[in-house]
Amino acid sequence: MVNPAAQIPPTATRPSVDRASGALVGSSCRSCGITSWPARAVCQRCGAETEMGYRLPREGSLMSFTTVWVSRPGLEAPYSLGQVIVDGSTFFGHVRGLPEGAKVPLPVDIQVGSDDADVLFWFEPSHQT
Amino acid sequence: MSHVHVAGVGMHPFGRHPDLSLKDLARTAALRAVADAGVAMSDIDAVYSANAMAGALQGQEQIRGQAVLRDIGLEGIPVVNVENACASGSTALREAVIAVRAGASDVVLALGFEKMFVDDLNVTLDALESAADLDVVGGLGLQFTAIYAMRLRKWIDAGLLTPHHLALASVKSHDNGARNPYAQHQKRFSADEIMASRPIADPLTLLMCSSICDGAAAVIVMSDRAAARLGSSHPGVVIRASQLRSGYSSTPGDPSTPTLCARAAYEEAGLAPSDIDVAEVHDAMAPGELLYYEQLGFCEADEVAHMIESGATRISGSMPVNTSGGLSSRGHPIGATGLAQIAELTWQLRGQAEARQVQTPRIALAQNSGGWLQGEPAACNVHILERTTPW
Repeated sequence: MVNPAAQIPPTATRPSVDRASGALVGSSCRSCGITSWPARAVCQRCGAETEMGYRLPREGSLMSFTTVWVSRPGLEAPYSLGQVIVDGSTFFGHVRGLPEGAKVPLPVDIQVGSDDADVLFWFEPSHQT
Repeated sequence: MSHVHVAGVGMHPFGRHPDLSLKDLARTAALRAVADAGVAMSDIDAVYSANAMAGALQGQEQIRGQAVLRDIGLEGIPVVNVENACASGSTALREAVIAVRAGASDVVLALGFEKMFVDDLNVTLDALESAADLDVVGGLGLQFTAIYAMRLRKWIDAGLLTPHHLALASVKSHDNGARNPYAQHQKRFSADEIMASRPIADPLTLLMCSSICDGAAAVIVMSDRAAARLGSSHPGVVIRASQLRSGYSSTPGDPSTPTLCARAAYEEAGLAPSDIDVAEVHDAMAPGELLYYEQLGFCEADEVAHMIESGATRISGSMPVNTSGGLSSRGHPIGATGLAQIAELTWQLRGQAEARQVQTPRIALAQNSGGWLQGEPAACNVHILERTTPW
């Protein structure tokens, strides 16, 4: 059960990245352990209270990607987007440095941008392989 | 509990209508549905009004239903404004079904309208991108085209589809659209022309995608009591299932939201996928319909390619899908789409679909999705309709 009197931090005060360690920061369930990004107050699976400040792994698996040919303000086409599984959860984000003819699934690293970067984070093919 | 009868349907042609307001689009669709049902305005005792973007695009952030209904003199009765992104229209219909089943209303208008052509295309694209949790994907440029492109690439990389199959689905979409006087795009294209059109989001090209659109659609549903009192000049059509599911944080291997919603609809109707004679599915990009063949249970994943190659889903085939041209060719004015699907299926079941008529269909399925959440649609409705009058 979630205690309605619990001191749940307002969404604006919850960190979504830790630039020092280069990790995304979300939440994990105190009961079942499932994680979420951005953080949630209540677990989507079991309805229990979560723990804020969970640092996600910095690696994921690219499940699909696309190159977008229609520009948006501040986003010059072509740009690449990917669907990535991190910690069992689905993420969407920009993908950089994808080689020609890349096949999925592909191991990727999460890169957290600097304060003034145009996106919060992006994915790159893993340097381990 | 009362049956829910589809008494009347009506549409304003989908397309680009710079000289017409939301009121004009909505009025035409509503009055056509009223005339089709053969009822008086005073018979309507509730309205569920669907629109997704008039707040952002026309500044009519609140009471959009009451505002457009003013022009056709519908006042006083309950009006509920419904927004569920691209699934707004079918969500309004579901609320109308619930109101009739609950005995709260007897003659209910579900009305969907959208006007997406405005002076600045970027305002429309921004509004479209807000069909997701902006805290999660805001600023990424995650356009609908990209979502569909990524879903389809998975199937291509898994060896289940080739880019040629994507083109075949689009050929069919345009072919059906060319037969539909309400369609935004009424021109046929070859597979080569579709593949050669400019890239939008790899592997999707321009002629595979829906475009922005203006339009409106309306459906009038009735209780048994009202149907007996008011009568009808059309073959009978009833709603056998009306299901809504919201997206969820699925993990790889979990069933899709449309799969879960369709299963619930089949169970409600006591029917199986093999009972469906004609379907309208949510193909915001024409090849997207290929994925729904599997998600709605029409075939297994490894049979999808054959289903489009064999022509089974053409109007003349054994399982016609998107006879209207679907979202890609009929057009996709967000709030109206789900009700346009019901209009098409009602015409099909009555035998009034003219150049698009499927041979003697009895059971029809509509699937309408809206927005996205963690890779799943944020909302998904499945409706199953049945013709009750023998052919």
